[in-house]
This record gives sequence, structure tokens and C-alpha cells, in this order.
Amino acid sequence: MYKVLMFDGGVYRITELYELVEDVGGFVIQKTQIQVGIVVTLVVPEEEVPAIEGKTQELGGKLTDVPLAGTEIAVVAPTLGRHHMPHPVCDIAEHLRRYGAITVVMGLARGKGRQTAQISADEKATIEEYDAAVFVLGNFEDCIVKEKIRLFESIEIPVLVVCGPEINGLPNCEGLVTGVCRKVERMRRAEEVEKLEEVAQFLGRIIATSRKEKDEDPLFVHPAEIRQRIESMDVVKKSLRPAPIVLHLDGLRIKIPFEEWRDSLANIEIFGRRLEEVATISGARIGGSTLIRILSRSEVQARDARRSIAAA
Amino acid sequence: MKVEVVGTEKFGTDSYVALFNGILLDVGLTRMVEAVKFIVNPSDPLFLISVRTRKAMSLVKISEIADVARTEGGTMVTIRDENYAPRLLTFLWRKYGRDRIEQLSRLEILCRGVSEQDISVLELHPGEELRSRVLDAIWRLLPEGFKIRHNISSENITTVAATEHDMKKEWIELANKVHAEMGGLDV
Repeated sequence: MYKVLMFDGGVYRITELYELVEDVGGFVIQKTQIQVGIVVTLVVPEEEVPAIEGKTQELGGKLTDVPLAGTEIAVVAPTLGRHHMPHPVCDIAEHLRRYGAITVVMGLARGKGRQTAQISADEKATIEEYDAAVFVLGNFEDCIVKEKIRLFESIEIPVLVVCGPEINGLPNCEGLVTGVCRKVERMRRAEEVEKLEEVAQFLGRIIATSRKEKDEDPLFVHPAEIRQRIESMDVVKKSLRPAPIVLHLDGLRIKIPFEEWRDSLANIEIFGRRLEEVATISGARIGGSTLIRILSRSEVQARDARRSIAAA
Repeated sequence: MKVEVVGTEKFGTDSYVALFNGILLDVGLTRMVEAVKFIVNPSDPLFLISVRTRKAMSLVKISEIADVARTEGGTMVTIRDENYAPRLLTFLWRKYGRDRIEQLSRLEILCRGVSEQDISVLELHPGEELRSRVLDAIWRLLPEGFKIRHNISSENITTVAATEHDMKKEWIELANKVHAEMGGLDV
């Protein structure tokens, strides 16, 4: 299993770290250089972590675990109006970023109200493009338990619910964090920051479980390997969108139009195969982006077997 | 400020009281509100709030609070009672536009192209302004989906009952009762 780590140190002899990461079969996801300091997010096989720790010590840097790196999380509110907790929603999204996640804040078109609250099939499908969703609900137990649970019913990705009242448990979700309610200001007090921390820790556990499940039938290639090949494309280099390539647990989101670039992406070579042979490439529901979902090793084997039977 | 809460869920009602305090702070009404009563029943669903404010300053003519004199190109208003200065300036801006109203000094306002007579008969309604700010605070507080509303407003009390579907007769009666009780409330 791969582990995502963040190196924080100086640029002096940093290439030694890059070489070691490559030697142990890992990848560098992101490099952010600030004058003589550098922050590097890297993925390495779990058993090689001690080697990276040793090198970090040698270089005088600091190595931290970023459990949510390499994931894209949707933070969903019933609406984006000021009645539906813009402050907690933004604070949660911001706090998750500190743990390495790329977060997107989303408001439902008709999520307001009690019995009238709805989510459309299109909205559900959009949310399912992400690795996990955090639903931020309101202050009343009766409202949440009887009505709002419909909002995250039958969503295929893991869902974490954040709400105000103490509730023993909710159906259709992987976790529940209570004590976060409507506010007119940002969550800055110690007990509020603790709540944000609780949300991040809970989500970290949910993502760890997802990673373990995926490891039972590992992906054909790690998303970071595809990223390395894609980031050299001119269109990606010139993209002005923030984070033009976003890693998912089982693929990537590339912020270039699918219709225009589908063939170029399909023909990228990866371990002697074309990308479209080991992944499904599709347009994302949020315009101008492409989704790549990497197939697992068994899926690729099954595909190969079907092809050879058809050829015979 | 006296706060009375009736509700089926402690967490929900308590958090709405805290939220209302925050909103009052935001709109600058903390010192103007004397008493608030909440009735919150999410299972009905009913959200009722009644707010009693201090008595606002009564209606006043501009000639009573300022000297109005004709000058070259318009009218000069020299404010005598400084308490009204910001309100009067905002009122004139809203009525004649920023191009025609110029604040020359703290208490002097030049109104271009407006006659002395037109200015003298204008009236300020501080009570109306307070009421609109209280309504703004209440609307910020009310749950967004509760669009069916029944408003009762008297001189210094505003009561709003809000629900999601049909407004029942008994809720309107309850709102009337709460509104009447707020008038006789000791604070």
C-alpha cells in the first residue's frame, strides 16, 4: 500500500530525495518552492517509509503524514445561501485542505427546507465523481433524521455527515460528526477548531478504509504515474486553472476539455499499453474537465481475456 | 435583552438564540432590542419569533431639526440636532441622489437644484427605519425553506410566524397571542 507524505525542508540536496523516491518506486505529487524552502508531497510504498524518514533527517527536513493527499472531497450544503451555514462549510473545506485534500464546496439547487429539500440525479452523479462527500446539515434533529437523510441516500461514495444536534446514528452514511451548527462568523474558537479537527480525522479514517478496500484488488497503475505522463502535455502546462491535474483514489481529474483531448489522452503510453486499455476516460459533469478512472489489475486481466477470446 | 424560548429541541433552539444574538450584533441592533420570544417546532413545522424593540424616535420634520436656507444653486441645510445627522444625510441621498446632495462639513448639507420649500416639508421616520432593520435581522434568522410567513407589526413589536406548506389557523392565533403578550411584557 502506498503512503502519502509531505516533506518540508530546504532545496539543498533535494534531488537526492527525488532520486530515492524514484528508486523505491514512489512518485512526487507536488513541489512548492518558496525561496530556499521547499514543500514536496510524495507517495511511496508503505514499507519504504523508514528510508524516506532517514533521508529527511539527513537533509534536515520534516516529514509529516498527509492522510487526505491524493483525494478530492466534495463539501455539500443544502444551499449556498447565508441561511445554510456558509461559514462552517468553508471552514471545513479549508481545514481538509490542510490535510492534503483538494476540496470543492457545493450547494444544492433545491436543498433548502424540510420536506421540500431535494437532490437531483444530476447532482448525485456530480458528487459521485469525488472520493468522498461531507454533507453539512442543520440544527434540528427532527429535520435531519426524518427528512434530510434523503439527500445522501444511494450516493455511491463514502459520505460523512456534519450537523448540530447529538444524534446516535444516521443511515446511508459512513460517519457522523455533531456539534457544528449555523454561525454568523468563522470557526475560530478552540472548541470550534477541535470540531474541524474531528471532521478531518474522521474523514481520514474513511479514506484509509477506502484505500484498504482498493488494495484488495489494486489499481493497474497508481494515479501519480499517469499524472507524471500527463503533466508534460502542453495543454496542461499552459492551463491557468488552479490544480489542472487532481488525483483521486482511483484515477484523476484533468481540467482540459474531454471532447478535444480524448484521443491524445487515450493514446498515452503506460507500461507498454495505451491508457484507454487500462482506464476509462470520460467527460466530467463539471464542464471542461476529463475524468480518468483506472481499472484494477483483475479488470484489466478480464478485459484482456475477453479480447483474446474475441480475436480467436 | 430578555429572551424566552419554547421548543421541542434544546440544541436547535439554543443555537438559534445564539445565532440571533450574532445577527443583532451584525446589523447593529443589540441595544435596541428589549425582548425576544422564539417558538420553534420543527416537527410541525413552525418557526415563530416575536421581537420587541425600544421606542424609536417619533416622526420629525426637517425644519424642526435643521435650518433650511436658500443659497446659490440650491438649498443649504444646517443641522441643529446632531442625533439626526447621519439619518438625514442618508435620507437626502436616497431621495435626490448623491450627485445633488453634498456634505460640506459635519453639519452642513448642500442640496443642488432643490427648493427651500421642498426640503422644509420633508419628514424623517426613524421608527420605520428601525422596523426595517428588525425585519432584516428576522429574515436572516428564519430557516430558508420556511417561505410561508405571517407578519404582525405594531409600533415596537414585530412578530413573524413561518412554515413550509400551509399556514394553519391556530398558528396565526398563536402569533397574535404572542404578539399581544409581548406588548405587556415586563423587561
